[in-house]
Formats: sequence, C-alpha cells, structure tokens
Amino acid sequence: MKDKDKGSETGRQGTDTTPVPLLEAISSRGRVWEDLAEQYGVTNPDPPWKITLDATCDLLAAGSCVLPVLERRAEEDDLSATNYADIPFPERQLLALAHSLIRRGLLDEDELARRMEEVNRRLNS
Amino acid sequence: MSTSKHDRTHHAKKATGIGDPQCFKGEAGKAKFKVGDRVRVKDLSDVFYSRTQTYPRGAVGTVTVLVYESPAPEDEAWDNTDKSEWFYSVKFRQKDLWPDYPDLYANDTLETELSERWLEKA
Amino acid sequence: MSDKHEPAPMVNEVSDFEVLEMAVRELAIEKGLFSAEDHRRWTEYVHTLGPLPAARLVAKAWLDPAYKKLAVTDGVKASLQVGVDWINSPPTGFGTPSDYCALRVLEDTPKLKHVVVCTLCSCYPRPILGQSPEWYRTPNYRRRLVRWPRQVLAEFGLQLDPDVEIRVADSNQKTRYIVLPVRPAGTEGWTEDQLTAIVTRDCLIGVAVPKPGVTANAKRPVRPAVHPVHHSH
Repeated sequence: MKDKDKGSETGRQGTDTTPVPLLEAISSRGRVWEDLAEQYGVTNPDPPWKITLDATCDLLAAGSCVLPVLERRAEEDDLSATNYADIPFPERQLLALAHSLIRRGLLDEDELARRMEEVNRRLNS
Repeated sequence: MSTSKHDRTHHAKKATGIGDPQCFKGEAGKAKFKVGDRVRVKDLSDVFYSRTQTYPRGAVGTVTVLVYESPAPEDEAWDNTDKSEWFYSVKFRQKDLWPDYPDLYANDTLETELSERWLEKA
Repeated sequence: MSDKHEPAPMVNEVSDFEVLEMAVRELAIEKGLFSAEDHRRWTEYVHTLGPLPAARLVAKAWLDPAYKKLAVTDGVKASLQVGVDWINSPPTGFGTPSDYCALRVLEDTPKLKHVVVCTLCSCYPRPILGQSPEWYRTPNYRRRLVRWPRQVLAEFGLQLDPDVEIRVADSNQKTRYIVLPVRPAGTEGWTEDQLTAIVTRDCLIGVAVPKPGVTANAKRPVRPAVHPVHHSH
C-alpha cells in the first residue's frame, strides 16, 4: 500500500510499517527454527515450512497476481529493516508476507488470529 | 496497487509448451538497436512497476546481446501484453555509473537488461 | 537427502511460525487467491530443485568445447542435457512466473570475472540452481554488489587483480544467469563427476571460484546469531 494515513509509519520504499499487533506478538514469543533446530539436534538448516512459504509467495504473484513480486519484496526489505529486524530468515519473510496481506486487506488480522488458534489445536491434538 | 483482475488464461494458452519470453518471438518487429551500438538510458518518469533501476539512468553503455522480445514490465504488470518490444543486454563501465569508482579498477563493468523504450542512440 | 543417517531427530514442538504459515496458506486458499492443488504441485516442483544440474552444466562445458558454445549461446537448450527443462517442468508448462525461461550462461576468462545479483528483488535461476541463499536476498548484498563489487567479493574471500574485468550481471528482467567459471589448474584428467563436485553454488553465483578439494560453500554468518549446524547448501 502506498497510502500514507495520518499516524502510520512508512519504510524506505513506502511500505506501511505500522505494526500489526498479532504479528508483533508472534515476533516476540515465537520460537525460530535456528533455536528449535539447536534444541532438538536437527541438522536441516531450514524449517519444513520454508518451501511451502515460497510456493505461497510464487502463487500470489502468479494467476490473479494479488501480490506481485516487486511489491512483496520491496515491503519485505522495508519490514526486515524495521519491524522484523531482529527476526531471522525465513521467519522474517513469513511475517513480512502476513503483514503485506493484512495491510492490503487480503487477510483480516482477527480472522488470522482465529485460524491460528484452530491450526494450533489441530496440530497439538 | 494491483487489481486482482488479471486473466492469465490467454497467456497460458499462448505460452504453454513454448515458454515465456519465447512466446513473444516475432512480435516486436524490427529492433531499433544492434550489438555494439552505444545507447543512453533515458530517465522516463517513474512509472509504477518499472524494472529499470535508478542507477543506470542517464548512463551510456554498449549493447551486447539482443536477448528477447517481450511486453515491457510497465505494461505486463497491468496485463497489457498486446505489444512487445525488444530487450537488450547493455554493458556499462562502472566508472560511467558511479563517478567515484576507483580508477585502479577502470576495466570493471556492469551488464543489465533494458527494454527498447528506455534507450536512445548515444 | 543422505542415506547414511539413522532416523533423524525431529523438532517435537509446533512453533508459532509453523502455525502462522499454515494459517496464511489455508485462508489464502479459502479466499480463492490460489488453489490447494496448485500449491501442492508448486511445492513438489520446488522440492526437486537444487544446484547440481548447474554444476554439471559447467563440468560438461569444461570437457566439451562444443557444449560450452551451446551453453553460452542457448542456456535453455543446454539445460536440457543436464535434465532441466525450463519450459515444461514447472507446473505452468511455460516456466515459473519468477524464473521465466531465459537462462544465460556467463563465461569467465582469466581476464573477465562475472558475478550475479538481482538488485530489485533477488531473482535467481531456481530451475537449475535451487533456492537462493539468504545472503543473496539481503539489501546489503543487492545494494552493495553493483556499487562496490570488489569490497563485497573480498568479504567472500575473493580478490582479483585490478586489471581483471569484474562484470556484475544484474538480472532485473526475465533473463536468469549462472556463471561458467574458469576451470582451475590441478584438474587435468578429471571425470565429469569430479569436476561437478567442485562447482559449488557460490561459484555459480560468481562469489567464489572452483578449487580442487573444495566441494562446499563457505559458511557465511548473516546474522549475529550462532548457526549451530553444518550444512552444504
């Protein structure tokens, strides 16, 4: 989004970097793959969801093209320098994607939070 | 802000089994420039979706390869794929891109692609 | 995947990120942004990709001057001989929307060294080289390589004589590049397999040069955090 609302923050390439509370919460409490892999002694350098994330990014740029590559990457660059600067890759790419989708109105923050709760229940059952 | 109305089925029919950019071959007509030509990068007004970087604008380089024909990204982003133009690989001396590039490395170059609308004879 | 390991340890906990990725994907599918079937096919396709075909292309080119000529003039055709079909392998049947079907193989000489970047968004020749490394995607690399290539290469441990032409290739449009480095001394009489093993992903991007005995990419600390595992990606 290139609109600049009053009170919103913007990154170097014009990204709306106004924090998304749900994503801020995940950034601060989420366990990143670097730490999980070390704890459990897993040698794969990437989390199992990294490729599915890349496929999601590819598909959003294909077909109906709701999030083209140049825009998504510019926003990811801005968000990686600001909101998610302390988060490793690929968690950072995932947060930036969610941020871009929410700010574009393609995903609703509350809906995402509810779906996360549901997925959590499913995976932990 | 992109619209969500792209209909890629036309593109898919045209390109399946052929490839992109191969599917646009022959559509751009006669190329304005040839290998070896000296060209200057125009500084066209900033259009959303440009793939012409800021740094080569105004610089003069040499055409090294006529790489392919394709709709320009400025059009392709909006699915205006009716018109194709020639794309050129252009080589620049680094000293012509960055004024303070060290003389010691005067042989260093950079090569990148520009579509015909961005180039004029130098 | 190596077949020498015992059953590997697993991460026995679900992270918020794993949950977030799944939630985003499920909602995107429900909203019709893409289909589950397309996503499955893409994921399967990307899983097949890695750097070995590009390494083998270089090894073959070193051994056969006619193949080298083909590689330099028609990268897509040359890719077929290492099992990579830029056009038909991706699920679309016409190349991926990020990678297209225009590979150029950039031939180094003793006086010309190529190195590849995509300043705009980190485009990369995935069908023949696999997924890009993190450092390639960073603004740090993308902004600095075009401007200060010698400094950036020095950070990668590569220093070249001042009279060597360093040519940065910025893949800003549909062409994707791999570098065909100079065949190093000490490889006389080597087989294609032996040569393939020393052409690492970093050599194919252009930030390293092949050396007998070196078959892995150098580890590159991108973040201050400690990377506790060794990997040869």
